[in-house]
Amino acid sequence: MFDTLKSILSKIQAEYADIRHEIKKETRIAFNGKELTEIGTNTTDGYVLRILHKGGFSSVAFTDPANHERAIRTALENADLMTKFAAHPVVFKSTDIIKDEYIPNLIEDPRKITIDEKLQLTRRYNEMALNNEKVATTNINYVELIREKHFISTEGSEIKEELITTRISGLITSRDGNLIQNVRVGAGGSNGFAILKTQEDRFEKKSRIAVDLLKAQPVRGGRHNAIVNQNLGGVFTHEAFGHFSEADIIEHNRSMREKMQIGATLGSDIVDIVDDPTLPNQLGHYKYDDEGVAAQRTQLLKNGVVAGRLHSRRTAAAFQEPLSGHCIAEDYRYAPIIRMGTIFIEPGANDFDTLLDKLGNGLYILDAKGGQTSGENFTFGAQYGYLVENGKLGKMVRDINISGNLYNTLKNITAIGNDLQLSQTGGCGKGQTNIRSCFGTPHLIINDLIIGGV
Amino acid sequence: MDRLMTLAKSHSDQVELYFLEKSQNSIDFEDAELNDIKSTIQSGITMRIIKDHKLGFSYTKNFHNEKELVENAVDSLKGGVEARFDFPLNKTALTLNTYDSAIEQATNTRIVNECKRIYSFMPQKTNGQVNIGAVTATTKIRIMNSAGTDLLTKMSHYFITVSILYPGSEAGLFRSLAFKSFEKTDDQYLSDLAELYNKGERELEVTGGRMKVLFMPETLYALIWRLQSATNGESLYHQQSPLVDKLGEKIFDEQLTIIDNPLDDTKPHARAYDDEGIACKELSIVDKGVLNNFHYNLYYASKMNTEPTGHGFKTSRWPGDTISMKPSPVLRHLTIRPGGKEFWQLVQDIDRGIIVCGALGAHSGNIPNGDFSIGLAPGLYVEKGEITGRVKDAMISGNIYDVMQRVIDIENRVHAAYTGYYPAVLFGDVNVATKS
Repeated sequence: MFDTLKSILSKIQAEYADIRHEIKKETRIAFNGKELTEIGTNTTDGYVLRILHKGGFSSVAFTDPANHERAIRTALENADLMTKFAAHPVVFKSTDIIKDEYIPNLIEDPRKITIDEKLQLTRRYNEMALNNEKVATTNINYVELIREKHFISTEGSEIKEELITTRISGLITSRDGNLIQNVRVGAGGSNGFAILKTQEDRFEKKSRIAVDLLKAQPVRGGRHNAIVNQNLGGVFTHEAFGHFSEADIIEHNRSMREKMQIGATLGSDIVDIVDDPTLPNQLGHYKYDDEGVAAQRTQLLKNGVVAGRLHSRRTAAAFQEPLSGHCIAEDYRYAPIIRMGTIFIEPGANDFDTLLDKLGNGLYILDAKGGQTSGENFTFGAQYGYLVENGKLGKMVRDINISGNLYNTLKNITAIGNDLQLSQTGGCGKGQTNIRSCFGTPHLIINDLIIGGV
Repeated sequence: MDRLMTLAKSHSDQVELYFLEKSQNSIDFEDAELNDIKSTIQSGITMRIIKDHKLGFSYTKNFHNEKELVENAVDSLKGGVEARFDFPLNKTALTLNTYDSAIEQATNTRIVNECKRIYSFMPQKTNGQVNIGAVTATTKIRIMNSAGTDLLTKMSHYFITVSILYPGSEAGLFRSLAFKSFEKTDDQYLSDLAELYNKGERELEVTGGRMKVLFMPETLYALIWRLQSATNGESLYHQQSPLVDKLGEKIFDEQLTIIDNPLDDTKPHARAYDDEGIACKELSIVDKGVLNNFHYNLYYASKMNTEPTGHGFKTSRWPGDTISMKPSPVLRHLTIRPGGKEFWQLVQDIDRGIIVCGALGAHSGNIPNGDFSIGLAPGLYVEKGEITGRVKDAMISGNIYDVMQRVIDIENRVHAAYTGYYPAVLFGDVNVATKS
């Protein structure tokens, strides 16, 4: 493949060019209720060409290799337009020239597992949910993505990397008359098939919660102090802060860039946030990003103060900050953009009972149900929660959607647990869907969350 | 395609091929600076086969791998996915005007110049940061099946979205325009957007409670998503819909009439047939508040023992790869019938309330149940018919089968928005949670 890619790059008259080819092999098994609605394995592939010339930078994604000359022509025309009209010439931060092949360690390679075994496992978890009388239906899917990437640049980098993602995930829906409730369930990762084989407790627990939610009361809207669990804290960290550590989000937003300067205080002094794609065996693990830059652990917030940022080669040069190796594409259909890899709040010293005592009265809310940010404000949903009275867990509550503010909410973190957990499944929809977006925190106490109620 | 059809037929009872070719250019300006130009040139084939009432499915981007495509489809038959339907014969598809050849002259240079023109105009109207995203695309879809259907559609579109951001945020006001080819952006449209933005410049802290809420066309999707979820054949079959036994019943205020019309080729992306080759038709979903119809693709129509409605589209709520998707029942051409009031008259009718200009978290919450709980990003605050500033750190919440019973009035025109063409709609007595 490197020879094919070199041949394409050799036709380009530009200061810099790179090209990535990906083969994407996808196995999907889907159950809707008791019915199997999809099963099969398919392979697709495509190319992403990027050209930097005279300060103009552009990309073209194409699937048919016969279109490579059209792609080159288009990329050069677009780069030329950028040169003419962009206010500032694009410059790439220099990076090491890398020649490497990286295949992650796997505990049971999913390619060696028969599709029948994958089907039986998915069916087993699905049936565990459906065995509950009040579970109306399920939507449980097995997804396996094998991405084989080849990257070369005119600077001389030649990198082959495989990214292997497996998961069994979906939705369990319960119903009582006209009342419908649902919870999300998911397990998986980037280190092989084995992790999927021991998830009975997770599916049992989530099925029970889906049923219990039918008897839960809607949460009262308004301001609440709350303990958030690791998964919810992870989405909170991702939405409330992580996106604004991505340099491309704030690059051309004058006021946000000013507020997110290195050295700005955004959180309480107990909050340290890191993004680290190099953590092995985690969902967000990779060795090189899609610009051929080695991934690096990046301290984003230290004692509540902005300490670093996630970058592409372009933004690292524009901000005059270090490279971080966070420029990632969903697949061959896209040019890479800056993404979080594995973002987390570092653990504190409190066990869960201590956090309950510290909270006194409020809510304990668990497991994310989607989140979104608009910069200053963000929302995220919790799948379920409990009232906390005098440090004791009380009745279950439902319909929990939370709103917060980038510049205040991190300052309202008053205590951090000692029980960091990272997510096994993820999904971030910043233009492209990153199913390897990994996040987590320990249990946290956050004060003054605005909860919408119903 | 013909050779592939012949090869697949030799392994199955029925075959369907879906061919997609798409070229797209995206131009992105931020704060008056040209930020990015991206292009894609992509194509692919999806195959579905039926053998012994079992469904096989495969896809590829690589046209040289015909044998592998067929083998993958045949392999997937072993899973035993049930197919109690036949691929349709459609020889009489309407001819719609979906392609404007002028798109071929809508070069990136021309679009960049249009964006520059907008940037020369907007500073006269507002001090806010203006961002612009513009997309041109041409799409070719061919659907063939072993029943004899062979349909080809070529489409073009030009979308432009102009946003004005509030300081310290990515939140702001935005408007999108959608055409089949390049058209100059109407200055009045931009002026209206800027006027609304300017009225919200002052940041306010307001007391929450129940009040009137005006959804801008761009944020109505947060409510319409819940209706789409409840009216599609998949939700009905899996008992995930609270509307399962409500056909013919009044579910919303009588001022609300909601139609899906794929045949309206004055707008881009009109379709004479869906992604399964079933003829599309205008479908009344809600007529004067009464639930009129559900929508189906082939698979769920067969499950529910009814006829497909021409709503089997290869799409999802999130960006996905069309080629790898199976058709599911989706309303892609929705519109809400306009009411009788100008937008500013609606604002004047608000004694105390919120205008929802950006909806955060519309995808979370209990969608099947119709519940919504969304952050304002931003919301404009109205008192005595005047916008006095903007509200942040606030949420509005409710259930669509409750809130949409309380329509006060509807704007007299529709605007291009996510999932359809909508007017602004004013609702009464909606729950608003704020810091105070």
